[in-house]
Amino acid sequence: MTFDPSIFTDHLGDIGSGFLVTLGTWSSGVVLGLALGMLIAVAQVFGNRFVRAPLRVFIELIRSTPFLVQLFLVYYGGPSFGISLDPIPAGILGLGVYGSVYFAEIFRTGFESVARGQLEAADCLGITRLQCIWRIQVPQMLVMILPALVNMVTVLCKETAVLSIITIPELTMVLTGIGSETFAFVETLLMLCIGYLILVELCSRLGMLLETRVGRFMSRQPR
Amino acid sequence: MFDWPLLQQNAPLLLGALWVTLQVSIAALVFGFVIGIVVGSLRLSPIPLLRRLGGAYIFVFRGIPLLVQLLFIYYFLPRVGLPNVSPTVAAIIGLSLAAGAYIAEIMRGGFLAIPGGQLEAAGLLGMSDAQMLMRIRVPQAVRLTLPALVNEMILLIKASSLVSVVGLADLTRTAQNLAASDYMFVQDYLMLAGFYCLINVPLAYAASLLERSLKERTA
Amino acid sequence: MSLDSVFRRTFNRLSIAAALALLPLAVLPSSAHADQLADVKKAGELVVGTEMQFAPFDFLEAGKQKGLNAELFEALGQEMGVKIKFLDLPWPSVLPGLEAKKFDVVAGPIIVTKARKERYHFVSPIAEATVALLAGAKDDSISKPEDIAGKTVGAGKGSAQLEELKAFAATLPQKVTIREYVDNNQAYADLAAKRIVAVANSLPNISFVAAQKSNLYKVVQPPFGKKSYFAYLGRKDADADSLIAALDAALTKMHDDGRLAALQKKWLGAEMDVPKGDFEPTW
Repeated sequence: MTFDPSIFTDHLGDIGSGFLVTLGTWSSGVVLGLALGMLIAVAQVFGNRFVRAPLRVFIELIRSTPFLVQLFLVYYGGPSFGISLDPIPAGILGLGVYGSVYFAEIFRTGFESVARGQLEAADCLGITRLQCIWRIQVPQMLVMILPALVNMVTVLCKETAVLSIITIPELTMVLTGIGSETFAFVETLLMLCIGYLILVELCSRLGMLLETRVGRFMSRQPR
Repeated sequence: MFDWPLLQQNAPLLLGALWVTLQVSIAALVFGFVIGIVVGSLRLSPIPLLRRLGGAYIFVFRGIPLLVQLLFIYYFLPRVGLPNVSPTVAAIIGLSLAAGAYIAEIMRGGFLAIPGGQLEAAGLLGMSDAQMLMRIRVPQAVRLTLPALVNEMILLIKASSLVSVVGLADLTRTAQNLAASDYMFVQDYLMLAGFYCLINVPLAYAASLLERSLKERTA
Repeated sequence: MSLDSVFRRTFNRLSIAAALALLPLAVLPSSAHADQLADVKKAGELVVGTEMQFAPFDFLEAGKQKGLNAELFEALGQEMGVKIKFLDLPWPSVLPGLEAKKFDVVAGPIIVTKARKERYHFVSPIAEATVALLAGAKDDSISKPEDIAGKTVGAGKGSAQLEELKAFAATLPQKVTIREYVDNNQAYADLAAKRIVAVANSLPNISFVAAQKSNLYKVVQPPFGKKSYFAYLGRKDADADSLIAALDAALTKMHDDGRLAALQKKWLGAEMDVPKGDFEPTW
C-alpha cells in the first residue's frame, strides 16, 4: 500500500464539511435524545399505568429494532403517512428517538437509586413534586449516571455513520465517496477509523473530566 | 395500503433470512465471548503491558463504527492472507471482534464481583491460574452477567443488520431487495422491523426476568 | 486531569492503535496467483459480484434473481464450462470487493470510463449506458435536462452516473443540489416522495423503471450524458488477463450468433449497437 496524502489534501473542504455534519447531527441527536429521554423517564417513574404501558411498548420496539431499520422507516416510510422530512431533520429525529429510550432507562435507574427517605422528607417540607425532581433527584442522580450517559453519547456518535443511507453527507459518506472516486478504498477507511476514534475518545475523556469536576463539586456541598 | 398476498409471498423469504441473521449473531456471540474472556482477563492482569493491550483492543473495537469495521475487515482480510473467506465467515469475524470488546467490559465487571477470598482458597488448594479461570471465575462471572450477556445478544442481532456490506444476504438486505422490486417500501420495512421484534422482544423480556431473579438472590 | 492531558492521552492511544493497524500492512506481501482462469476452471465456478437492485440487469422477483445478467452469465458460463455463482452486495462495496478478491468479476454492469479503464480490466461492452434523467410522470416543470437547474437531483453513490451528473450540473446557471443514494431504488422512492425532482441513471435502467411504473415516472429526453457503454469487469492484475480473455471470447461468440442482441431485446427493449472488443471511452 502506498499512502498518497493528496487523496485527502485534494478533498479537505469536503472532509471538513463531512466532519461538521457528523458533529452537528450527533450533538443535535444527543440533545433531542436527552430531552425526550428525561420526559419518558419522568413519565415512567411518576405516571400512572395508562402512561407507563404504552411507553414500555415504545421502548421495547425501539430497543428491539436496528437503528438502520428505524431510519429507513422514518425517511422512506414517512411520506406514506404524510410526513416528508428532509434527510438531516429525519436523521436527527431518528438519532434522538433511538437515543431517548436508552437515555430514559439510564435516567430511570438514576431516579430509583435516590433514597426514598429523602423524597418523604421533601414531601413533609411541602416541596412540590416538580421541585423535588429538579432540586433533589436530578442533581444527585447525575453524578451516578454520568458514566452511563457518556457511554451512550459515544454510541450515538458511532450510529451517525449509518446516516449515510439516507443521503446525509456525513464523514462516512464523504470518505467512502472519496474512496470510490480515487479507488483508494483502504486509505479512506483507515482515515475514517482514525476520525471516529478521535471523536469517541475525546468524548469519553471529556466525560471523565466532567465526572471528576462534578464529583468534586458535590463533595464540597454541605450535607 | 397493505398488500396481503405480497406479505404472504415475502414472509417465508424473510423467515429464511432471519435464520441467516440468527446464525451469524449466535456464532458471533460465542466467539465474542471467548475474545471477551481473554481481553477481560488482560484488562485485570497484574502486568501493565497486558493491561494496556487489553485496553487498546477495547479502545479500537468500541471506538470505530461497526459499519466501518466491517468494511475494513472485508477489504483487509486478503492482505493478511485470507482472501477466500465466505461472506458468512467475514460477517462472523467482523461481528465477533466488535462483540469481544463489549463482552470484555461485561466480563471484567463480572470478574471483579467475585470475592477475592475464593481465589485465595483455590490457590491454597493448588489450582493453576487456568483452572481458576475456567472453574471459578468464568462460571460465576457468567451467572452474574447473564442479563448483560442476553442484552449483548440483542445488540448483536441488531448490529448484524449491517453485514450486507460484506455480501451476506441477511434479514435487512433481503427486505431491501424485496422492497426494491415490489416498490412496497413501507410494508416491507415494517415487516422487517416485525421480524427483529419477534426475536428481540422475548430476549429483552428474558433479560429483565434474569435481572430480577439475580437481584432477589443477591438481596 | 486537565483539558490538555485529555488531548495528550487521546493521541497517545490513537498512535498505539494506528501502529497496530498498520502492522499487517507493512509485513505481509499480497499473495501472488498464477492464473485466475485456471483457478476458476479448477473450482468449476465463476463467482460474480453484483448488486441485486439494478433492474433490468439484476433484480429479484419473488426472491429469485431475474434480469439480463443472470441469463447472459448463464450463457457465458456454458461457453467456458463453469457454473456461475452470484454474490449480492450494496453497490459501494462491489468494486472494493473485487480488489479484495472476494469474487472473480463484477456484473453490475458498470460504465466504462477512462479512469476505470486504468484501474480495471473490462470485458467488451454489453449495452449502451448513456446517462439520462428520470422525473415524476406528472411533473411538467422538468421537460428537458436543463430544467433541473436550481433543484435537487439524486444519483447512485460511487457511480459513474453520479460523476456525469456532477459534470452536467456544473454547466447549468443555477446550483443543482445532488443527493447520493446507496442504491438507486431509494432514489426512485425519494422521487416518488417528491423530495427530489429527478434521478440520473443510465437509459436502460430508467427506461425499465418508467415502463414498470408509468403512472409515477417518465424519462426526460434527450439523455444529457455523453455516449457511454456498460460492461462487466475484472481485476487488472496480470493473473486475471486469461479470465477476461476467455469471457471476451465467449461474449464475441454471443455477439456473432445473435444471442446478445436477443437478450438486449428481451430485457432492454431494443437491440443496441455496442463496440465489439476494446474501445476508447469518451470520458
